Amino acid sequence: MALALATAIVAAGVAGAKPALAQTAAPLQDGAREAATAAPAVPAPEAPDAGLSPECRVPGAKLYNLAPLRAVKAALRDDRAIRVLLIGASGGGGAFSSVISYPVRLRTELEKQFKGMEVEVIHRALSGEVGTGAADMVRTATAEIGPDLVIWQVGTNDALARVDVDEFAEALGETVAWLKSHEIDVLLVDPQYTSTLGSDPYYARVVQAVGTAAARNGVPLVQRFEAMKYLATSGGGAAVGGFALNNLGKRCIAEHVARAVAVAVGLAGDETPPASR
Amino acid sequence: MREPNAIDFWRGVALVTIFVNHIPGALYQQVTYSQYSISDAAELFVFLAGWAIALATARRGDPDSPRRVVLRLASRTLEIYRAQILVTAIALAMIAGAAIVLDNPLIIEWHNAGPVFVDPVPTTLGWVLMTHQLGYFNILPLYVAILALSPFFVLLARYSRAAALIMSANLYLAAMIYEINVPSWPVEGHWFFNPLSWQLLLVLGFVASDLSRSSERFWTWAGRLQPVGIAGVALGVVVMVTGWRPDPLMVPEPRLLFLFDKTYLSPARILHFVCLLLAFQGVFGWIARLSPWLAGQASALGRNSLEVFVVASLASLAAQFVRFVTGGGFIVDTLVVWSGLCALSFTAWFVEWRSRSPRPSSLRE
Repeated sequence: MALALATAIVAAGVAGAKPALAQTAAPLQDGAREAATAAPAVPAPEAPDAGLSPECRVPGAKLYNLAPLRAVKAALRDDRAIRVLLIGASGGGGAFSSVISYPVRLRTELEKQFKGMEVEVIHRALSGEVGTGAADMVRTATAEIGPDLVIWQVGTNDALARVDVDEFAEALGETVAWLKSHEIDVLLVDPQYTSTLGSDPYYARVVQAVGTAAARNGVPLVQRFEAMKYLATSGGGAAVGGFALNNLGKRCIAEHVARAVAVAVGLAGDETPPASR
Repeated sequence: MREPNAIDFWRGVALVTIFVNHIPGALYQQVTYSQYSISDAAELFVFLAGWAIALATARRGDPDSPRRVVLRLASRTLEIYRAQILVTAIALAMIAGAAIVLDNPLIIEWHNAGPVFVDPVPTTLGWVLMTHQLGYFNILPLYVAILALSPFFVLLARYSRAAALIMSANLYLAAMIYEINVPSWPVEGHWFFNPLSWQLLLVLGFVASDLSRSSERFWTWAGRLQPVGIAGVALGVVVMVTGWRPDPLMVPEPRLLFLFDKTYLSPARILHFVCLLLAFQGVFGWIARLSPWLAGQASALGRNSLEVFVVASLASLAAQFVRFVTGGGFIVDTLVVWSGLCALSFTAWFVEWRSRSPRPSSLRE
């Protein structure tokens, strides 16, 4: 059921795709703003997405399930900075200062996708909170930051703690619904793939629970698990695994998330923007 | 060795609660009081630390000299900092070891440990400076920070307890209203326990301890207010069981005043904690009469709280690994929790045995 719903959302995204983003630089003129608020071309779901760098290239069907991001679209239309709250374990890149720069890299990737627009990324790491504890932290941080978009890398702590999957799914679903009720965009990122957990049924249930929460609430999902699994077996023609795959996943996550945001914003079309918060 | 007493007993209870609650997902969490309480063991631990400071800085009722107060508290602060560095280093080694043995890179992400391994240069500096804290290893940094502040309040209270409380409350309110907290680094964010907020609980503990020994009215009023405390605790149970929370986007500004926020220690948590104190005053006496063994065991943990806390932190991390590998469940949870509790009891016994035993002759000059 969840898979069918997710597939329908992807299909809707492809059908509603807009022309590619113009590459015009700032300062923004009316034409440039229109270009920035337009969506990038959505690639065929099964073809590697050419909008990604070669080492991170994954087919859209393995990378994201799409749904419109209306609050971000409204920020673009109003020509104001997009405020993003990034929640979850940090994704470094293996080099000195990469952890510090992870939110910066995400901002850079988003600004590449939305030429000429200012993007502000505020990062809050979850240091072990699971279930309702994590949900409370997300709510508090959201109230503190006032974001247009919450990007939530969710499930890793819960999977490591082997929490009850149903309770995890319930807390996640409630929090996503709460964010939506306040007209804040949400993008979920499911847990990463590792070879040792690739066939773990419990881990698969956590990954599936994240996908289900996204589909039920109509929010986009970055399928980090599927994307890394794809990279592990066919990334750049050379299979990678273990800690090398982990590092590759960290290098690619900013690109993957930014790409999903850009494509999902395009799905918002010219609908009425959410009321001002 | 002190005889079992209420302070050590409740500190022991707080340590056991923290140990179990630091094994996320464990079924035994359902039987800790934190599941049914707006405040939790962290409040109890910090309040009792303040209570103990009053006892430690006034031997036999005579206040220590200001110089001795500052030196004693500075010495304790350093001792706790040393424990934090040790426990973090061992925890990181455990995480690294588990990642290698289980051949699973995901484990290095355990509770905010990832940056230490991915970006060791800035993050090593960060965890030594305590600006980078692992999840569940963030109480001792709070303790270090508020103990470092404590000499100011202890000495001020000698002139006026009201002045100490007012200063402390002002700092607490300013931190809450303006959302001032100690930043974390290199990962963006702030401390999980804001010392500018939590210092109020330490000062409350200190002042309450002081009053309990100097004012007869303190205990009279504590007894009179016990029904209020019981009502507050019952209300807390209802709130927790129903899962009700104030919506942080619907409350007025300053919003932290109206939430149940743990980082800034929202007033609801303090009020609930005071209700707990009022409701459970005198319970130690009952337990000591009904089960001297239980009272003795918990008090032994509380007497050696720092060493027991360090072992509890590491035991809870080990328990998390065991649950991760085995998948958890009632039998596994029972084994890890009771093994951990045995380790805590052994630690308390071992520390006291060491202090009683003469040093080996080879180490004596």
